[in-house]
Amino acid sequence: MALIKTDRLEKKYDVGDSVVHALDGVSIAISAGEFVAVMGPSGSGKSTFMNVAGCLDKASAGRYLLDGTDVSRMGRDDLARIRNEKIGFVFQGFNLLSRTSALENVEVPLLYSTLPIGPKERRERARKALSLLGLDDRRHHHPNQLSGGQQQRVAIARALVNNAPLILADEPTGNLDTKTSVEIMELFVRLNEQKGITIVLVTHEPDISAYSKRIVRFLDGRIVSDEVNRP
Amino acid sequence: MIHLPSIIKIALRALRVNKMRSALTMLGIIIGVAAVIAMLAVGKGASTKLSEQIATVGSNLLIVVPGSTTAGGVRMGYGSYQSLTRSDAEAIASECSSVLLAAPLISGSGQVVFGNANWATAVLGTTQDMLGVRDWTLASGRNFYEQEIRSAAKVCILGQTVADNLFGNANPIDQTLRIRKVPFTVVGVLNSKGQSMMGQDQDDIIYVPIMAAERNLFGRRIPGSVHAIMVKATSTEDLGRAEEQIKQLLRQRHRIGPMQDDDFTVRNLTQMLQLTEQAQKVMSLLLAAIAGVSLLVGGIGIMNIMLVSVTERTREIGIRMAVGAKTWDIRTQFIIEALILSMIGGLIGIVLGITLAEVLSYFAGWTILISVWAIVMSFGFSALVGVFFGFYPAYKASLLDPIEALRHE
Repeated sequence: MALIKTDRLEKKYDVGDSVVHALDGVSIAISAGEFVAVMGPSGSGKSTFMNVAGCLDKASAGRYLLDGTDVSRMGRDDLARIRNEKIGFVFQGFNLLSRTSALENVEVPLLYSTLPIGPKERRERARKALSLLGLDDRRHHHPNQLSGGQQQRVAIARALVNNAPLILADEPTGNLDTKTSVEIMELFVRLNEQKGITIVLVTHEPDISAYSKRIVRFLDGRIVSDEVNRP
Repeated sequence: MIHLPSIIKIALRALRVNKMRSALTMLGIIIGVAAVIAMLAVGKGASTKLSEQIATVGSNLLIVVPGSTTAGGVRMGYGSYQSLTRSDAEAIASECSSVLLAAPLISGSGQVVFGNANWATAVLGTTQDMLGVRDWTLASGRNFYEQEIRSAAKVCILGQTVADNLFGNANPIDQTLRIRKVPFTVVGVLNSKGQSMMGQDQDDIIYVPIMAAERNLFGRRIPGSVHAIMVKATSTEDLGRAEEQIKQLLRQRHRIGPMQDDDFTVRNLTQMLQLTEQAQKVMSLLLAAIAGVSLLVGGIGIMNIMLVSVTERTREIGIRMAVGAKTWDIRTQFIIEALILSMIGGLIGIVLGITLAEVLSYFAGWTILISVWAIVMSFGFSALVGVFFGFYPAYKASLLDPIEALRHE
């Protein structure tokens, strides 16, 4: 069964008199364990697709099944629960809470879990996620005391802490230098191969998309190509 | 729902980040609560003092005084007309159903001598019922016997001040002193009532049997006439009825025609004091209301700062929403933050208010009374203000679009 399955997704914005079709009939299926790069120029609809896929936004029309659940008609709080349980986000700008330690940043998704997770278990799980990314010794540092690469690893730990099957990464290396970008991408590959986590990643750099197994290209709100990159 | 200790931790951190701002925001609540506490303490203190004064005068008290006379066109004022008599007092006591006791009063003053000590004081002729009417209690000795009143026995009961000045530490009972050179034997000493509302020393008196006062001390009056009759009604509710009954009875006894004015006046002392008490209550309520307004202003200050905080932390809200915070998770977070602001403000306000009241009582000598009720109420009210004024910013925060919020710089 596909982890992500969309059926003619549409997203329309009213801009004054005209209507912009940010998504214009997007149908795609992504299976569990895939590593997909989403590419396309700005305004192609790839960001809108990521927002809808990440349950941050709702499509105007069409259907979206996430892990077999139809989320296209869900309300705010149900979508929040889905995000909490199924999706880990990694952003270009890291989006960590400032004045909050790395450990506490990683704990945040557990705070909003519908399952009763006590403070002790939260701490343990957050620490485990951080050690997995080699940041155990930095757990009490605040984001402004960490390098860009370290901050992004904290963000990835946060995405992993709830054992979500899907990571959505929006230009995760956009703010990083080449060497760090390579480290982060290798990390994604490892998570994909060793833990079987499905990764969907937006980028416009061919170097970055090269790490993926499948590349989907967007243009004018449509998928224009969908090819296997490596087996 | 998000776990409460965590949410409190988050809120405290957010408040610590802007210490100065948090403190200034609390100031409105602090001043409001402190004002409420201090106002209520002072108001309550004043009304308690007043109630005590009502009690010392004697509860449910009516005073009947003779009416005014006109002598050659000159009106003489109350008491100038010697229309009231001892038998009026007896009739009031026996015939008015709403009257418990009635005691006639002849008042004068005189020099009192004991050994080589002497003292000028008020000398009041009355009956054994006076102690009951005025709620006097005896510190030592006994009340007059009825026999002593009728036989004009030369006995007396001393007020505390008189006893102190003439006898010092010695026991005055059974001693003989001289009032206006007439020897009287002390049979009792009254407990102290302290100062009256007008600042008079209520203990600077000597009671003597009314007949003795008439015959031996103040002999120039019309026999039987009295200066006043003090009446105790059966209850506070019966005061009005007692007043009516006394008026009717006296009009009848004094043969006053339907068109003629009364030749006496009934004064309702308790009622006067109660009116004063009521005025005081209204006053302190008014002050508390003003303090309440300042709490309200403090609440608006909290709302203002919380709105600023929501705008500043839009990105944080976006992050929390992205990782799964639900509507009420966000709302609770901001409401708790406002609540903490207002409750800390409330606590500081309570401490400040109590201090202020104590300072007022110490330096200005005001009677204060800090009630637990006032503390609980003002703390509860400040918490309520926090929730009430925290709700709108929290509501606004919870409705943010996560995508917009994440993009916010």
